[in-house]
Amino acid sequence: MKPLFIIAATRTPFARAGTSLALLDAVDLGKAAVSALLTRSGIDPHAVDETIIGCVGQPAHAQNIARVIALRAGLPESRPAMTVHRNCASGLEAITTAHAKMCAGQGDVFLVGGTESMSNMPLYFNRGAVEKFTLMGKAKGFAEKLGAAASFRPADFAPLIGLKLGLTDPVVEMNMGETAELLAREFGISREQQDAFAFHSHRKAVAAAAALQKEVSPIYVMGREVTAVLADNGMRADSSLEKLAKLKPMFARQHGTVTAGNSSQITDGAVALLVASEEAVKRHGWQPLGIMTHYAYTGCDPRRMGLGPVRAMDAVLHRAGLKLEDLDFVEINEAFAAQVLAVRQCLNHPSSARRAGLEQPLGELPEAKLNPRGGSIALGHPVGATGARLVLTALDQLRETQSKRALISLCIGGGQGGAAILERV
Amino acid sequence: MKTHLFESLILHPEASGLEMSLKHFHVEFDAERRAWITFDMAGSAANVWNEITLREFNRALDRVAHEAGVRALILRSAKERVFIAGADLKAVRHATVKKLEELIDLGQATFNRLAALPFPKVALIHGACVGGGLELALACDVRIVTDSEHTRLGLPETQIGLIPAWGGSTRLPKLIGLAKALELIVTGRLLKPSQAKRIGLIQDVVAREHLEAVAKAATTRSMPKAWWMDRLCASFLGNRVKASVQGKIRGLYPAPLRAVDVVTRAPFTSISKAMELEKHAILDLALSPETARLIDFFFRKEDATKKAWPVGVALQVQDVSVVGAGIMGSGIAHWIAAHGKRVLLQDISTESLAKGMGRVSGLLNEGLQRRAISSRERRDTLDRLSLEHDRVPLTHQQLIIEAATEDMSVKKKIFADLAARSGPDTILATNTSALSVTELADTVPHPERVIGLHFFNPVHRMPLVEVIATKHTSDDVIATMVSFVQKLGKVPVVVKDSPGFIVNRILVPYLMEAVHLNESGVPADLIDEAMLDYGMPMGPLRLLDEIGLDVAAHVGKTLEAAFPHRFAETMLIQKLMEAGRLGKKTGEGFYSYPEPKTKKPSWSEADHHLMERIRERLGGLLFEEARRVSDEGIARCDSDIELAMTLGTGFPVFRPLTSPVLS
Repeated sequence: MKPLFIIAATRTPFARAGTSLALLDAVDLGKAAVSALLTRSGIDPHAVDETIIGCVGQPAHAQNIARVIALRAGLPESRPAMTVHRNCASGLEAITTAHAKMCAGQGDVFLVGGTESMSNMPLYFNRGAVEKFTLMGKAKGFAEKLGAAASFRPADFAPLIGLKLGLTDPVVEMNMGETAELLAREFGISREQQDAFAFHSHRKAVAAAAALQKEVSPIYVMGREVTAVLADNGMRADSSLEKLAKLKPMFARQHGTVTAGNSSQITDGAVALLVASEEAVKRHGWQPLGIMTHYAYTGCDPRRMGLGPVRAMDAVLHRAGLKLEDLDFVEINEAFAAQVLAVRQCLNHPSSARRAGLEQPLGELPEAKLNPRGGSIALGHPVGATGARLVLTALDQLRETQSKRALISLCIGGGQGGAAILERV
Repeated sequence: MKTHLFESLILHPEASGLEMSLKHFHVEFDAERRAWITFDMAGSAANVWNEITLREFNRALDRVAHEAGVRALILRSAKERVFIAGADLKAVRHATVKKLEELIDLGQATFNRLAALPFPKVALIHGACVGGGLELALACDVRIVTDSEHTRLGLPETQIGLIPAWGGSTRLPKLIGLAKALELIVTGRLLKPSQAKRIGLIQDVVAREHLEAVAKAATTRSMPKAWWMDRLCASFLGNRVKASVQGKIRGLYPAPLRAVDVVTRAPFTSISKAMELEKHAILDLALSPETARLIDFFFRKEDATKKAWPVGVALQVQDVSVVGAGIMGSGIAHWIAAHGKRVLLQDISTESLAKGMGRVSGLLNEGLQRRAISSRERRDTLDRLSLEHDRVPLTHQQLIIEAATEDMSVKKKIFADLAARSGPDTILATNTSALSVTELADTVPHPERVIGLHFFNPVHRMPLVEVIATKHTSDDVIATMVSFVQKLGKVPVVVKDSPGFIVNRILVPYLMEAVHLNESGVPADLIDEAMLDYGMPMGPLRLLDEIGLDVAAHVGKTLEAAFPHRFAETMLIQKLMEAGRLGKKTGEGFYSYPEPKTKKPSWSEADHHLMERIRERLGGLLFEEARRVSDEGIARCDSDIELAMTLGTGFPVFRPLTSPVLS
């Protein structure tokens, strides 16, 4: 595979939904990340051939959000922009789409990334209410309008929550949390194991706070006054196993084990990267952060979407001709603690591996190599942005530890897995 | 290609023969018996009224009048950005009494004749429609304008010491009512199409492509206003406007007051009588030396705003960085971003950046409230502004403006850093009010790209920018900065690097003397009152409070070091500063803020005598220093000194500053 060079990368701070970034929508966040990337890299926007942004919940007022972001961030009008959607891997999809376009001769330099404002997911009217609104719109004359208006009932105004709808698989009609509960049951992953995993995620993120800070560009929020939001706010220095143990299960009240504490957080944030072909890198004399050598997307059972990384990792390692032990570290997105623990089990144990669709286990994934800076349980999971954040954090860790190779992977709602291999150059 | 427009514009058989004799107008008749007069002044980008064009317009009207069965007359311009830019001011400026009277008579007669034609007259307005241009439109029945950025309407005559005298002072109040007409004429404000629609000056705002189609449909006559109301209120309105104008200009500029007189008579008299009043007023005004100076100043300012620097090549500036998010830095960043350029505002502290952004957002919100900008313009300005606290590369910015604290060692450090981060031909500008640009330039490689840009505080209000060239600064860099400042809608005045440049150099001795007078016992409000009567928009001690005593002391020290023993010695500023009284920002300076409400002091005969002496003394100092600046060749020419002082300090235009004749 022709490698994709990553030239620069940055992101906004990740903030729990409803907190410091709640005033900004996905466009504002994406624009802030792209502007910061242009400023910090000092590259001329005219060098960019196309902008590709991942976003799961595109705001209704910004269809093809990538174009809106590109224009508002000052990219030339003459350069096109497109939005991509692969659920939780949309941010990674933006990068791999750039690669595909590069290989197809459709450009050399791409501005890519992901954005999500989970604070601003829309509320919808139910179908009955929508019909009544339509009738009212068509009604002519006062009497007819009054009649149409009178047909509304209080229940018509109960909103459907966009966030909840988005996190429910429409094919198998399971909430993402329920898929995690299923994995916890089938793979015998206890509440204690999940809480311990979550606790460690916070601990690692707190320990890596200084390094995480370097991934971030401040964002200035215009409220009544202007505030500089400087850092992620999801990680809890005061997290403890006792506190986590007190939380109630969210998806299965009776015997469930998946809680808000051992799931990824609902978060606002955006990531931007500049990627290019080797020729462009040489032509511009850029100093790349690293390269993406291989990637793979695979499918799996939507009810067990959390196992997605197993096959994806198998596929990408096979394509690269590498083994698990050739990797210096691995980033697996922490959608749910139960799901990551199930993936680890499938990678290592033959019977579990077979259940996930592998003929042979890939081997042991040591805890020290997994998510060294913590993951989405501590930092949050702005769904459209996370895939790009994993690439950013992996590259920064390669630089920091001067190591050679990393793998990133995500489970994807709807029953998919994505994985990519990154190397330092 | 056949459009219905072309079909209906079939020329009358006679047209081509008579057309030949008209140089500046085209007259056509369409199939539906409409007459179309197109103003297209030969050899000019704008249409203006002078004796020739007025006479020729009359001949065009002759043709329309002789044509049988004309149903409507439509007037338009063939120019890209101008409908009619008013009267030819150059002709007015140098006309004799007799010539001027003839010109006024000719204009009045022409527009009266137009108004009296027995069919609907429609003005299709795209581009500037000001002064005599709007007076023509007012003589029509229907005014339709385009929604273009270039379309502006107004009667700015009072701003150059004249009044609208081709029927504008009479017809405007009849059309939109006395109150609004007074406001428009006295302030000389230019209106956007939407504003003109709101006050009823025009009937419709349309896209330029639709002008002709809309004109054909428009045959309605405008309704006359309720006159009894204006008659009832005339003297009250007149006095109120006069009082507010008087407070601002202290009777030093006669034109707005005279305009109030003429306009408030309009509801009571016949058109012909009212026009007689207009004529008398303008003849009185036009021949005064004040008006001559106001017109000269207008031309000078036009030149400075439009003319390119005579040598060197002006390059495009699209990306700018401003260093320092303080009051000046954020003010400059806001202004540049609001004018379509991308701005990177840098500061080492994220907190200062947030504060600076807060100021920018405050300015934009205020603009939004005044309806000066739309919410989209506000968002676009914010989008063009990025903030950074890190040492990022500055390779694709063409210009970096440093606006850090006024401290040479700090500025040198910043310049070294900027030079390291930017390309070798990036223009490095410093926003300083008194420090030596040359000294700064000497510390970086390629000093030919270093220049001073002295913006005045508050940036969004003050029209002047001193462009300070050192002996190293290249012509290309000067030309680029002159054109850049012009594109920001400000007036550049190029100055040789020397302590205090023009404005502060001339102002400081004057301010120091005022402080000295105050120290020796003259009350602050008496000194300020004296200079207000002189024509300054603000007294010297109040000005010091506004600037901040610490800032003023700093500028004073720089000048004192350059010109020892030149200034009045005073310890008062030092004392006030030690007492923490830095002016308005600390709530206490020469005055207290917010000011206690006291009655206006009444001045005795002796006070007035003293004020006269203060004016002589302080005014004399301004002249003296201006002469030195002139002798030392710091400004390009004497008129630049006057331009800078008027735009930078509000120095009264009607007082010659550099010529030996004292008023």
